[in-house]
Amino acid sequence: MDYRAAFQISAAGMAAEKLRLDVTALNLANMHVAGSSAEQVYRPQRVITQTVSFSQQFGRLAGNAAGVQTTVVPQNVAPRMVYEPGHPYANAKGMVAYPGVDNVTEMVTLNTALRAYEANVTAMNAARTMAARALEIGGQQ
Amino acid sequence: MSIEPVSLTASLSAILPASTPALDAFAPLAPVQHPAPGFGDMIARCVGSVNDELVKVDNEVRQVAAGAGPSLHEVMIHLEEARLSFQLLAQVRNRLLDAYQEVMRMQV
Repeated sequence: MDYRAAFQISAAGMAAEKLRLDVTALNLANMHVAGSSAEQVYRPQRVITQTVSFSQQFGRLAGNAAGVQTTVVPQNVAPRMVYEPGHPYANAKGMVAYPGVDNVTEMVTLNTALRAYEANVTAMNAARTMAARALEIGGQQ
Repeated sequence: MSIEPVSLTASLSAILPASTPALDAFAPLAPVQHPAPGFGDMIARCVGSVNDELVKVDNEVRQVAAGAGPSLHEVMIHLEEARLSFQLLAQVRNRLLDAYQEVMRMQV
């Protein structure tokens, strides 16, 4: 296993966590964007990471980095209806549709992605330290 | 009593005919159409590949600084890879120099 393979594995994990953070930021940015109707309101997105099969993972260890498979899917959540009769987008009952973004869930996802990213960076640094130590073999200290 | 001076060519001519049959046994291996890539070529190739890597990473850093190109962590990982490959080359050079100095210290 090439020492670069360890770097590529960490890079794949970092890319996945970065995407998670981006999507969470997108959800938070659209949290208070009202839609003209309940159908056209923004639907919060979510990152689905798939585990690659063993053969793919083994191929990654052998050198050709495949990366973590990620897909961004919109969540099927009901929009948050707020009573605002004066709003231009209010319907007949005076209700305005806001995206059903759960603030708490998004913040927890944010923190989880941040910690996982840090873990990947730590793993990469450990791999680099091991490679650098191996280069010291036989040297005159 | 006089010592006959030993002539190198004479002694070589004395040795060579005797060793020729042994050399003939290896004759099929001997002919080489083009000179095999030497040690210097190998080192030059290594230096070239390490330099290519450094140039590539330099370009990536420029792209990131300009707001385009690959993501930040990819560039950082490529930087580390380039640094490690350069360190590997430096260590190979150190070992070679050690071996060379060892040979130079040898009493002949």
